[in-house]
Amino acid sequence: MRLFSGQRAFVLQRLSALVVLAYLAAAALRVAFGAPVTLAQWQAWAAQPLGAALLLLAAAALIAHAWVGVRDIVLDYVHLFALRLGVLAAAVAGFALLAAWTGFIVLSHAL
Amino acid sequence: MRFRIYRFDPEKDARPYFKDYTLELGPSDHKVLDALERLKAQDDSLAYRRSCREGACGSDAMNINGRNALACITPLEGLREPVTLAPLPSFPVIRDLVVDMTQFFAHYHAIRPYLLNDEPPPERERLQSPQEREKLDGLYECILCACCSSFCPSYWWNPDKFLGPAALLQAERFIADSRDRGTAERLEFLDDVYKLYRCRTIMNCTEVCPKGLSPARAIERIKIEQLRRG
Repeated sequence: MRLFSGQRAFVLQRLSALVVLAYLAAAALRVAFGAPVTLAQWQAWAAQPLGAALLLLAAAALIAHAWVGVRDIVLDYVHLFALRLGVLAAAVAGFALLAAWTGFIVLSHAL
Repeated sequence: MRFRIYRFDPEKDARPYFKDYTLELGPSDHKVLDALERLKAQDDSLAYRRSCREGACGSDAMNINGRNALACITPLEGLREPVTLAPLPSFPVIRDLVVDMTQFFAHYHAIRPYLLNDEPPPERERLQSPQEREKLDGLYECILCACCSSFCPSYWWNPDKFLGPAALLQAERFIADSRDRGTAERLEFLDDVYKLYRCRTIMNCTEVCPKGLSPARAIERIKIEQLRRG
């Protein structure tokens, strides 16, 4: 696997977009045509194993998608090596925190 | 007709500036290049490139009223006045409307714009079926004028690393060629975070190509071919 393969990020960005889109479409259909959705019902659904898994999958896809986007913006506009490294490291740290926080919230309700 | 032309002579000028000209057009003046030739007769310090004067060589690519085009095939009629002429955006200016194409052609050479085929050559020529030949339509017509690359924001940000739409269209021209045997190595060369994947499908390249080609489509085909081959 090539370290600086462009294709990997390209594919990841598109696949993650499809996952997020599918999740959002399913959620929108649920709200539009399903039973009335309250916050409590939503939390109960997300606490189910299937709901939690789907929510985590969508969150992971969203974070991966955002990471590729941020990385692309940095590659385009931030040319100073030290600054680029700093911004990318900050982005990685931010996304890792976001992923951990999301995981904690979902799993703490699900388990 | 009124013109505003970008002027810069690095030997004389501290910084570039726009100079205004007014020109009485003659009955045979139809294209921007016709006007430039007349202006050159008035002011012989004005520098620009031109050669074939019929849209085949690509020498007189420039920015005309904010849009890249070939001066020799751009009609004067309908242009908003003053007609603003500037060098190709983002390319280093040598003088006035003349730009340095060194990097542009370095990218072109990097894609190895020739057939890679170590098989013993046939007695006469490597033949193609009409269907195989048809795959080169929309690719071989590129005249390397640089209108596309110079109008591509991704190329503006990374001109040294992103190959740009012109070189990538040329790459697809050889990937699509049935006589070429270097497809795998060409695709591997292009599988790079900068060389190919800085393209964001902005499509300025397709919008301004004076030959009506679509570098954006060619780039998409390269990506599809890479996906197909895993």
